[in-house]
Amino acid sequence: MYIYDKFDHTITRERVAEFSQQVARRLTGELSEDQFRPLRLMNGLYLQLHAYMLRVAIPYGTLSSKQLHMLADIAKKYDRDYAHFTTRQNLQYNWIKLDQVPDLLADLASVEMHANQTSGNCIRNVTADQFAGVAGDEVEDPRIISEIIRQWSTFHPEFLYLPRKFKIAVTGAPKDRAAIQFHDIGLQIVRNDAGEVGYAVYVGGGMGRTPIVGPLIRGFVPKAQILSYLEAILRVYNRYGRRDNIYKARIKILVRETGQAEFTRQVEEEWPLIRDTGVDIPAGEEARIRAFFAPPAYETIAEPVVAFVEAKKKYPAFDRWVSTNVHPHKVKGYGAVTISLKPIGGIPGDASSTQMHAIADLADTYSLSEVRVTHVQNLVLPNVKQADLFAVWQRLGEIGFADANIGLVTDIIACPGLDYCALANARSIPVSQRISERFADLDRQHTVGPLQIKISGCINACGHHHAGHIGILGVDKAGVEFYQITLGGAGDEKASVGTLLGPGFPGDQITDAVERVVNTYLELRSSPTETFIEAYRRVGAAPFKESLYGRR
Amino acid sequence: MAQAKEEMKILTANRLRNGETVYYTAAGEWSPYVSQAKVAATPEDIDALTKIGAAAYAANLVVDVNVIDITPGGDVKPSHIREIIRASGPTVRSDLNKPAAPSQRS
Repeated sequence: MYIYDKFDHTITRERVAEFSQQVARRLTGELSEDQFRPLRLMNGLYLQLHAYMLRVAIPYGTLSSKQLHMLADIAKKYDRDYAHFTTRQNLQYNWIKLDQVPDLLADLASVEMHANQTSGNCIRNVTADQFAGVAGDEVEDPRIISEIIRQWSTFHPEFLYLPRKFKIAVTGAPKDRAAIQFHDIGLQIVRNDAGEVGYAVYVGGGMGRTPIVGPLIRGFVPKAQILSYLEAILRVYNRYGRRDNIYKARIKILVRETGQAEFTRQVEEEWPLIRDTGVDIPAGEEARIRAFFAPPAYETIAEPVVAFVEAKKKYPAFDRWVSTNVHPHKVKGYGAVTISLKPIGGIPGDASSTQMHAIADLADTYSLSEVRVTHVQNLVLPNVKQADLFAVWQRLGEIGFADANIGLVTDIIACPGLDYCALANARSIPVSQRISERFADLDRQHTVGPLQIKISGCINACGHHHAGHIGILGVDKAGVEFYQITLGGAGDEKASVGTLLGPGFPGDQITDAVERVVNTYLELRSSPTETFIEAYRRVGAAPFKESLYGRR
Repeated sequence: MAQAKEEMKILTANRLRNGETVYYTAAGEWSPYVSQAKVAATPEDIDALTKIGAAAYAANLVVDVNVIDITPGGDVKPSHIREIIRASGPTVRSDLNKPAAPSQRS
């Protein structure tokens, strides 16, 4: 993991001191709300329905056990004993008091964490594949470039007042687990014909009211020149992005309206002007950062691991959990465990301080003290020996997080929705809970197979509904919550935007509607191995529409 | 000529210091309990509430100040689901919901 140097510590501490003064001036009335709002947003502090909400940055979703312990302590000390992991691999506290924020930020800073740039029209927390460094299919560990981007974008004076917020995601593998084509910039680490490592660059993807799959604008940028290329993109956006209309201010609109070819030409024209001006990272600095992510000292373990194999035979429930929740590790004898924060009927992404402490303890005991956050609102123990998986599974069962449902119908993304969020039009969490309960039977979930349901409580799409195999969007219809269904979205390397099926359903009918869609799939799939998204792409929306609305 | 629709409104905001959802009461205070909100039913009273809210905002007591609709008759209950949830707490965490106002507790 990256460890702060003196410079990181200094700017973090100074930022806490600066914002603490701003909070004090707000509380005395020296600053008005209009003056204070942009300042608090730059520090991740929102006002939601019930209280202030603080969004804490978790760079590329990587946490140490020490940091997770502190996040749990903060939940208990300053919040109501729980926190919420988000689709941007961040963490949100829902019940924060303004006058306690300075102390909270100081506690965060003590474990090299902060809430900087988790809001506002700046470059936000960079996200990455949760299996970075342990996935066998990756070209290179995406945490290295992610950390470089974090340092480059932190307090970057030219890019703190962009037309709109800006999100960058990185995948190190051809299998995209970071939804890169739904980001303002998506980077895929690739190897060219000469065997050199570089980046394929996608620009102008996004969700919200105008969902767009970002196009590839350059197939290969040499590793040593990626920062100047990113800077060229940001400069073109900063220069031409619209500032007159918040709904047309994201880079996706600029790319679409300018045209991909012309936008690319502008970037390629800008790039040489800054490429050799010292923007790019010196080789020595890249090596210094790379060293933080050097593989840990793994043990040499022969497979099969007898105790692990025997446990799977003896305990079918454990075997099933392994099949869904343990991802292959690049090192023999290890596995990467995805901890489902989606217990049946639970709140997606929520964890109590007790649960967070327990997971941090598991990381210390079994996973080299490291935890990851996924954009699907789950947690990962990336380095667990196969021989320890049974003990991990048992302990997770004790804290209510041993559901064997990763990638299945109850592994639902849901934004906080109208239960918390000031922007929401409808509730998301209760919808996810009812669907989760309807499909509680694990045999049925496994019969249905891989299926991603994603729910947003408004068109801002924090719940990624556009990228759901089944997407659900909550809308307000004359003061009543209604839910629209989209089908066929995907956030992986075959990214696609879901298609709206038809009129929305009231809250008490949406679970039935989803079940009809699932049953329709089961009836029409060509074989039990044809997944939902494969079947949808083969047959299209028509049979699903008919199942919901009848023949028209 | 159509009769004007009866309007009943209350004044709500979030307390600056801690973000708590609060309601302006007949006693001139800000209460966390919607049941204690002062109800305005005439254009003049609604206008007065609006001015009180603006003054409290300017005095840095509260933020996100709004005059909101309530349903006619009986207990004070906001009309829109957003405000119902603001008044009582997240529907998915009953353990975090606001208790009844002290005067209403048995």
